[in-house]
Amino acid sequence: MAEPVSTLPLARSASSSWKGPVAIGILALVILAVGSVSLPTFLVNNMIRAFLYAAVALTVDVLWGYTGILTFGQSAFFGIGAYAAGLIFTHEGFSWSLAAAALAAGLGVSWVVSRAVGWLAFYHGASPLYASVVTLVLPIVLVQGIYSGGEFTGSSSGLSGFDSIDIPLEAWFFIAGALLTVLAVTAWLFVRSDAGRLLVAIRENESRCEYLGIDVSRYKARLMDICAVIAAFAGFLFACVQMVVAPEYAGFVFGTELVIWVALGGRGSLIGPIVGAMLIDVGSAYLSGNLPYIWTLLVGVAFVVVIVAMPRGLAPVVASAVRRAVPRRRGTAPRPVAFLAAKPREKADADATRPALSLTNVQKHFGSLKVLDGISFDAHAGELLSLIGPNGAGKSTLMRCIADGAERSSGRVTIGGTDIGKLAPYDCVALGVGRKFQTATVFESMSVAEALRIARHRVSPPSKWKRDATLELPQPALDVLRLTGLDRIPERECRYLSHGQKQALELAMVLALEPRTVLLDEPTAGLTKQERTQIGEIFVALSSQYRMCLLLVEHDLEFVQQISSRIIVLHQGRIVMDGGVHDVVHSDLVRAVYAGETHAAENAA
Amino acid sequence: MLNLGLDIATTAAILFIVSAGLLMVFGVMKIINFSHGAFLTVGGYASVIVAHAGLGWWWSVPCALAVGFVLGMLVERFIVRPLYARPLDAILATWGLGIIVGQIITLIFGRGVQMVASPVDGAVPFLGTQYSAYRLILVGVAVLVALALGWLVNGTRLGLQTRAVIMNEALARGLGISSARVRFMTFCTGAALASTAGCLITPLASVDPNMGVPWIVGAFMLVLVSGSSLVSLAVASLVLGGAQVLVSTFVNPVLGGLTIAVLAAVLLRFRPEGFARG
Repeated sequence: MAEPVSTLPLARSASSSWKGPVAIGILALVILAVGSVSLPTFLVNNMIRAFLYAAVALTVDVLWGYTGILTFGQSAFFGIGAYAAGLIFTHEGFSWSLAAAALAAGLGVSWVVSRAVGWLAFYHGASPLYASVVTLVLPIVLVQGIYSGGEFTGSSSGLSGFDSIDIPLEAWFFIAGALLTVLAVTAWLFVRSDAGRLLVAIRENESRCEYLGIDVSRYKARLMDICAVIAAFAGFLFACVQMVVAPEYAGFVFGTELVIWVALGGRGSLIGPIVGAMLIDVGSAYLSGNLPYIWTLLVGVAFVVVIVAMPRGLAPVVASAVRRAVPRRRGTAPRPVAFLAAKPREKADADATRPALSLTNVQKHFGSLKVLDGISFDAHAGELLSLIGPNGAGKSTLMRCIADGAERSSGRVTIGGTDIGKLAPYDCVALGVGRKFQTATVFESMSVAEALRIARHRVSPPSKWKRDATLELPQPALDVLRLTGLDRIPERECRYLSHGQKQALELAMVLALEPRTVLLDEPTAGLTKQERTQIGEIFVALSSQYRMCLLLVEHDLEFVQQISSRIIVLHQGRIVMDGGVHDVVHSDLVRAVYAGETHAAENAA
Repeated sequence: MLNLGLDIATTAAILFIVSAGLLMVFGVMKIINFSHGAFLTVGGYASVIVAHAGLGWWWSVPCALAVGFVLGMLVERFIVRPLYARPLDAILATWGLGIIVGQIITLIFGRGVQMVASPVDGAVPFLGTQYSAYRLILVGVAVLVALALGWLVNGTRLGLQTRAVIMNEALARGLGISSARVRFMTFCTGAALASTAGCLITPLASVDPNMGVPWIVGAFMLVLVSGSSLVSLAVASLVLGGAQVLVSTFVNPVLGGLTIAVLAAVLLRFRPEGFARG
């Protein structure tokens, strides 16, 4: 492929982003066709198995390498697919219709099992360790089930000697290789697409994703379903080719081997795990005969060294060596993403008379410790309401209770007239609440534009197979980007942004959700004087010009005084004052509260 | 009936002994030490070596303790320490270590099963029934282990520092406690405990290069439902171990083997803190 040499950055248009992977895929298929007739039989036989293992390793890479779900359970789905074929062919005999039934059964059962695993492992607030535990228990349970199946499942020796699809080994080689190629190209297109970046976003900051309106648990569960079905398909083919199934193929040790191959090859690189799985599996076939224990020992040592010293595996090492050896082609730099203004959406329920946010007797306690007690207030569109109070007054807790239905102990929170009940953060986002955290939370390894696109995920789902050259954002978000200069650096990785820029980016991400109520937890903490003035102007514009309802937690009384339209004073979990800026700022009560004279405050209240 | 009660008590004792080291490491360091199984195996082979050397079986207990502690020092320094910030990777690296240890043992001793003569033979009369003497001894050992660990955590300066690190590591460091040292000592203690447990179970199970593996998952699940408390671990061992014995006796042994893992996984789904805090 001749690249035009140009000093100008050549636009990589959206339509060509799929051409590279597809071209490589076609090339791989041609190599497979040639290889199937020219390679020695022993190698062909081993490569078939290696292709199928690599296909499963690919699913482990998508789940673990990209999304951060460490799974030991993909072997179980592989085993389910294999046993579906083995059981039906052994007990019912072989026919094409039975083979189709076996395939359907294998995929169906693994899908149902994956749904059960997903229900157990992924829920709002689940720890990643717990998800790993569930995927660890799955193959153990399955293998014990196979052991106790007696004659029916062949117990510990498995099933063999059944009839299967009768086609030559070379054909299987091509089929298995083609499956791997199609999966790899599809996965490649997906992880590089705008939608695929969400995998990385989830790995980096799950909580931020939830507060951007994404039901992360559901997403992970669906992803696991797809990966489970793919693994089962590979298992089915495996049983058809090898005409043997055994409990080891469904077991936990095979599950860990898959993880080892992915880790060695390079997690989160797709090609690394494929190469890792194939090299180690084919290598084992040749070497484990001569050096039975040494080979496993070497793999174990390599695994530990890679995990400790090279967490990204060998793929980045190889890639950088190639980059050094082959001079970089110029002209492939991607065109920076252009930000456009999105059309304002119809706000059907823009009822000005109804409060944007209404709290009635909200309580929060940890055991006997009351953090919030009888909080009631209404806030309307166009208001800039500041929450002030000393440390420990319950301001941040109050914010959490508005953005996450499961947080408060009792009381009622309504957003735009809808009771939030026990809704999770992503559902609260759907009601029109955007929350900015106290410490700026962005996705460190993603670019500014990518992070903003994640924030638009809920409103306008991005493409699943390509990267868009433009990103539509609502006007307020664009204003923030312009004012802070972030619009000029859309390709800058978030980790290289200054503290102020991160704060601004997070604010823009929240505004990209098109919220009607915005919760801002100390948005000016750590900003310079100039940045503070700038951000204050933005807040005023958001409330007065865009008619949003802003709820702001702040310590800086002077800043609050300049921008607020109303102030609520919290002290020891109660509202001690609620009123206009002048009244509050000049009250003795506020002075007392801030001076720490709690008795005076209590008496006054 | 009495036999069933004794089965439950002795099973719980064995589970407690096997899991205590893992609990120490998880409680303080918040990482799962998957090489726990390898340390169990090492302890098992320590008693094989002692038997080959012609010493009495009881010598293998101090031997296993020492070997486990020294091995723990090396593992903490070179594998675990770089991975504190990456707890999921620590699981993988320690699992990899398990593979390495298993292969080295295979290279030295071969794949075959080694038998170790039990230090005490047969059954003794107990409360009007006949019961395995060694299993009864293990109940006493479990109590000893619990008391020793309780003293270590609540009665020593290092234990006080350890509790401080468990509660608030940043604050503990701010107060001049070397959390690195606390972790180091914790890991070595955990490894020594695991190795000792491996040697203690040799009279009940055969010794082979993978003898630790079947124990890991059970121990791991018990620790997850116990958090960082020895009392919770004792309760969890009794409840889940008891369930295992009941299912094995009345339903079937295969399901019995799964009881701990499945019950613990479901329990954690509905009560993420498990048996900890009440």
